[in-house]
Amino acid sequence: MSAPVLQVGGLALAAGDIVALLGGNGAGKTGLFETILGFRASVRPVHLFGRDVTGWPVERRVLAGVGYVPEGRRVFAGLTVRENLEASSSLVPVERRRRVEEMLEMFPMLGERPDARAWLLSGGQQQMLALARALMNRPRLLLLDEPTLGLAPLVVNDLLSRLGPMAAEGMAILVGEQRAGLVLRVAQRGLVLSRGRIVRSGTASDLAADPTLADLMAGA
Amino acid sequence: MRALDKFWLAVLILLPVLALLVLPPFGQRMVILVGVYALMGVGYQLVFGQLGALNLAQGALFGVGAYTVALTAPTLGLLSLPVAILAAALPAAIVAGPILRLQSHYFALATLALASLIHLAAVHVESITGGANGLAGFTALLPRGPILLVIVWICLILTIVVQARLFAGPMGERARLLRQAPLVAATLGIDGGRWRLVAFVIGSALAGLAGGLSAAVSGVVSPEITGFPIMVLCLTSVVLGGARHPMGAVLGAAIAVCLPELLRDLQSAWLLAYAAATLLVVLWAPEGLATLIDRWRGVRPVPPVSPVVPAHLEAVDGPQRLTLDGVAKHFGGVAALQGVSFTLERGEVVGLIGANGSGKTTLLNVIGGLECADGGTIMLDERRINHLAPHAIARVGVGRSFQSLALTGDTRTADIAHAIETGASFLLLDEPAAGATDRERSDLASLIARLRAAGRGVLIIDHDIELLSRTCDRLICLDRGAVVAIGRPAEVRANPIVRASFLGVEEAAE
Amino acid sequence: MAYALVALGFVLALNAAGAVNFAHGDLVVLGGAAAVVIGLWTGLPGPLLLPFVALALGIAGIVAARVAILPLVARPPEATFVATIALAAMIEQGLTVTMDAAPRTAPPLLGTGAVEIAGITLGRQPIAIVVVGATLVVAMWFLLERTQVGRRMRAVSADRHMARAVGIPVARYVVLSLALAGALAGIAGFLLGHQFLVAPTQGAGHMLKAYIAVAIGGWGSVPGALLGALGIGLFETFVSAAVGDAWASAALYLAVLAVLVLRPQGLFGEPVGRRA
Repeated sequence: MSAPVLQVGGLALAAGDIVALLGGNGAGKTGLFETILGFRASVRPVHLFGRDVTGWPVERRVLAGVGYVPEGRRVFAGLTVRENLEASSSLVPVERRRRVEEMLEMFPMLGERPDARAWLLSGGQQQMLALARALMNRPRLLLLDEPTLGLAPLVVNDLLSRLGPMAAEGMAILVGEQRAGLVLRVAQRGLVLSRGRIVRSGTASDLAADPTLADLMAGA
Repeated sequence: MRALDKFWLAVLILLPVLALLVLPPFGQRMVILVGVYALMGVGYQLVFGQLGALNLAQGALFGVGAYTVALTAPTLGLLSLPVAILAAALPAAIVAGPILRLQSHYFALATLALASLIHLAAVHVESITGGANGLAGFTALLPRGPILLVIVWICLILTIVVQARLFAGPMGERARLLRQAPLVAATLGIDGGRWRLVAFVIGSALAGLAGGLSAAVSGVVSPEITGFPIMVLCLTSVVLGGARHPMGAVLGAAIAVCLPELLRDLQSAWLLAYAAATLLVVLWAPEGLATLIDRWRGVRPVPPVSPVVPAHLEAVDGPQRLTLDGVAKHFGGVAALQGVSFTLERGEVVGLIGANGSGKTTLLNVIGGLECADGGTIMLDERRINHLAPHAIARVGVGRSFQSLALTGDTRTADIAHAIETGASFLLLDEPAAGATDRERSDLASLIARLRAAGRGVLIIDHDIELLSRTCDRLICLDRGAVVAIGRPAEVRANPIVRASFLGVEEAAE
Repeated sequence: MAYALVALGFVLALNAAGAVNFAHGDLVVLGGAAAVVIGLWTGLPGPLLLPFVALALGIAGIVAARVAILPLVARPPEATFVATIALAAMIEQGLTVTMDAAPRTAPPLLGTGAVEIAGITLGRQPIAIVVVGATLVVAMWFLLERTQVGRRMRAVSADRHMARAVGIPVARYVVLSLALAGALAGIAGFLLGHQFLVAPTQGAGHMLKAYIAVAIGGWGSVPGALLGALGIGLFETFVSAAVGDAWASAALYLAVLAVLVLRPQGLFGEPVGRRA
């Protein structure tokens, strides 16, 4: 069996995994993402794609195959949709343009207005742009931090329904969420994070059926 | 800022005394100049060091002081010095009101424009300033030599001792808060605008005094004294010496005066060396040389005093009831809060729960005045507090702690202790238990119980629902800015809407 | 038009570094000095000299980035202020020491004298300034708006953290921005250096005007900075023709104070909002 795509502490993801990272505010979800990406120094070693990347700078880890959709979307506000995508690509020009067209096709919401400045987009459109941007470099590991926050149910469904097919193509996906009910529908496994530690883990169906989940997530 | 210890006090007093006893007139002149530049620097430390505002007019105001003495000394003699102080403080006081509200880079630009205006006036208003030739021959009634040295150093020592004493105590703590966390300072009732005004005017007054004394030393005044190089010299010497060390300005000034003598062969290259040294200090020793010397002496910087919650909480006078009625807040088109109404009595603890983005922190911000409500009223007894500034709200009895503070050296409860210290009747606590250990959580629970017993009203946000259930009389659950449940903890926790909003199952059911 | 180049470089450096580069004005002076010195050494005519000056100052910009800007990105903007003020003083003093304070003249770009076009007599140097300035502004616009490098530069100034998270080597782009800013400053210094002489002490004045242009035009906005610079140029030309240089400058500074007090967000607003 090949090495896991991601391994940090007790958390390991293999290709094709969708893992839900559950926990309330301050549980440490964003902190974990920043550790994986290298924004914060970590005592725990981080392994990506079978290599120890603990000392690597952020850019190098990202180019090795990590896509990141941050909490609050953080699209490049003054750039257009197309420019956001192009700026996020490290491919040669011909491939870059082809990949942008693929993304615009894959996300019709963006394809409708490729030349709109990102700050004029709705929250849902910005979230799709943030996701498309993370996919530009064809990552093998996708990290999503609170992707459903503040989105209308229709957009949430659209967003979450895209994760399954992407995983089926071999991508590993880690989704940080506090709305467990939503994300456990698409994840295979889940972990509950509290005060920076994993306090519960299991298959998605086990967790979804667990009556104590609400209290666990509320930090009890 | 630390207090002035014996070592530095000895340096400060021995330097002028030795200069008087052993140095030739030329050496004494250098010591006077050190004192003059240090005086300007001490004034600059107030604004730049303590409050972190990049004032670029200090050099020009120094020039104003110099010109004032040159113009008035022939008639007023020594009394021209107080006039110089006024002449520099007055323009500062006039422009201070509007420009002190500006953000860092705009404040720098505004003071730079003021300085440029002063410089222009010095060059072009020839009837008063003598234009490019400047003014001379005004020192007949002014002291010189040893007497001038004594005057300069007495002014300097007094200023340094007073400033060090003031900022070693609670005032220094408040200045640190204003510099590092202006919002926190405001919620503790510290009026930042007033502080900056006072610091700016006093700092400018010291620049005027120093400028006046420099005119007495040199006997000539020309437009260069209002120019940008003086400003650069002031800034670099304060940074080099230590922007928040009581001796920083003296050390920086001493180097600025002595370096050209040491590098005499290199002529004006000394300024090059000086600027290079400043750059090195900014990069590798941002606290300055004086702090570096303290470290070699084995004196450790004092960690800032974190207030602790007193063992016995005094009952406080003040308003009895905080009432919200239909409070609303919009960001763009999004309703962050809608129709929020509830009351909080003294001696009552109310917990605020809800998912991320449900408006909990916004609600605290609106009550504390950090954000302005778009609709509804917030009353403290019969008094409406909606449109008061944050520091004013803090003063009428609403204290506040924040979610995550980047203050150095603070313990978890220090932030709450600050708020308690202000004697607020009502305390708004934003996730005091986030990231806390179990031990800290139980301490927090007992602290909240004591606050209730002391008759304070507490509104607390947290995700630890167990902690809230144990400590709160009532819970309020927010969902998308609206109150969806309010009542006793057990009732609210059993409420299906509350469970749904925490777990996000409402969409799952669709 | 030369002001526009100064302001353009200033705003590039501002966006990349997230803080004011106080040494920018001195880079302009350094450009003038480089034009004088390289011109004397090589005897090259103006148009051939231009790339050398741009190259030399581009390198100076890289040095500025490495020494005073990159090491301080994690610190508050005031640290960069102070570091670049110190750097400015170093450049100014270095120039004073090496070229003895006597002002020099940079060689002209297209020769001296005047030409007559359609019955209007124009100086050659002003024409050269307008042509070179306009060309560079258009080239910069093309770079920023139409190339991958420009897109990534804009992404870095929009959100440095996220730029790293999509794999952009941010430090390299900061250095590149400062190199471009330096080159623009150098060319501006070269152009101004023929008209106004080169003196080490002019740096603060150039910096102040660029600063004003950017503050008026809207912090961080490139077109705003260009409009601000053109506005200052026109203001100075007309007001000083009417009441003399000194009063024109005084009026300009008073106007700046008035703008800051009445419209702290700049005349054209702050399109992106929230800046350091």
